[in-house]
Amino acid sequence: MSANRDHSAAADEALVSWAKQGDMRAFEELVARHRDKIYARAFGMMRNEDEALDLSQEAWVKGWQRLKQFQGESSFSTWMTRIVINLCLDALRRRKRQHAESIELMAEESGGVERHMPIVTVNPTEGLERADLRQRIDQALAQVSEVHRTVLVLHEFEGLEYKEIAKAMKCSIGTVMSRLFYARRRMAVLMASWKREQES
Amino acid sequence: MTDEMKFELLAYADGELSASARRNVEARLATDVGARALLAELQMTRQTLGSNEPAQPLPESREFYWSKIEREINRLESAGERRAPSPILQWWRRLILPAAGLAVLALTLSVNVLPGVGRGGSGVEASFPGAEALTYRDQAQGVTLVWLSYPGEDEARDYEAAPPDGDWL
Repeated sequence: MSANRDHSAAADEALVSWAKQGDMRAFEELVARHRDKIYARAFGMMRNEDEALDLSQEAWVKGWQRLKQFQGESSFSTWMTRIVINLCLDALRRRKRQHAESIELMAEESGGVERHMPIVTVNPTEGLERADLRQRIDQALAQVSEVHRTVLVLHEFEGLEYKEIAKAMKCSIGTVMSRLFYARRRMAVLMASWKREQES
Repeated sequence: MTDEMKFELLAYADGELSASARRNVEARLATDVGARALLAELQMTRQTLGSNEPAQPLPESREFYWSKIEREINRLESAGERRAPSPILQWWRRLILPAAGLAVLALTLSVNVLPGVGRGGSGVEASFPGAEALTYRDQAQGVTLVWLSYPGEDEARDYEAAPPDGDWL
């Protein structure tokens, strides 16, 4: 049955339907189509290649096991992204329990340094090629705390609302707003420093 | 500007405010230069990030990446088949649990009916080992509860269930 199907030409909905019937080749095609996004989401949160690979693969395994729960109310890609985000959040919580944060990061997360950040008025994208801009954003993300990076990934890249982020991160909406505010301000300051580097 | 005002500006920039809260913020923005500057920064940063998510190509080949996933799926499915109880055992367990529950109920009722036995007590709890049945009896209230439970399937015990269709657990 699986051999007669053109998996590469099929839409995601058809592949999901076949995969639910046990068609592993259909699921492999879904993995091939969406693996970059799932891996990117994992790496964005974990900032570690090996962990991101492990968690993204674990997400795919869980996706296969839970496929019958997917009813198509969201896209398959969105559903898989939620799975990998859940896994990453669990991993980050375990990591936080094992390692104490530095005083600098704790100060950053509490917003203490934000009060000393001047408001940025320059557009950080001017004069930058898109690939260069993305690379700089990636470097800036590596410099913020895990908590700030998580909330940025969930809101700015994943497009989640505050209440969804609060539920995912198991905190209040007020905490989400606080974290997102300081995270965005920190990114603004980091991006503004590029302009100063360019002009100097 | 208080932290609450700053967070309100953030929520305004992100479209998270109610209509009335939006009007309050807009009234403040009309007269507060600092608030307008902060809002502009928040909006600019959000737009810059949202339009330029860093690309992270997979550092493994398609075949290698998939082979590990496939191997793990096959391993788990084989392990699941080995753990699954035989149909005969499943039938026996489905028969013995209700029978055990009935036995416990009969015992409880017989204790309640027999005169002078166990009167005056409250909150008696007994268990029927191995049959996953619990009995609670409150003689003062004349209430007897029998709780029967079937052993859960592997899926139900796995707390890391995937959120159905994008919802969060």
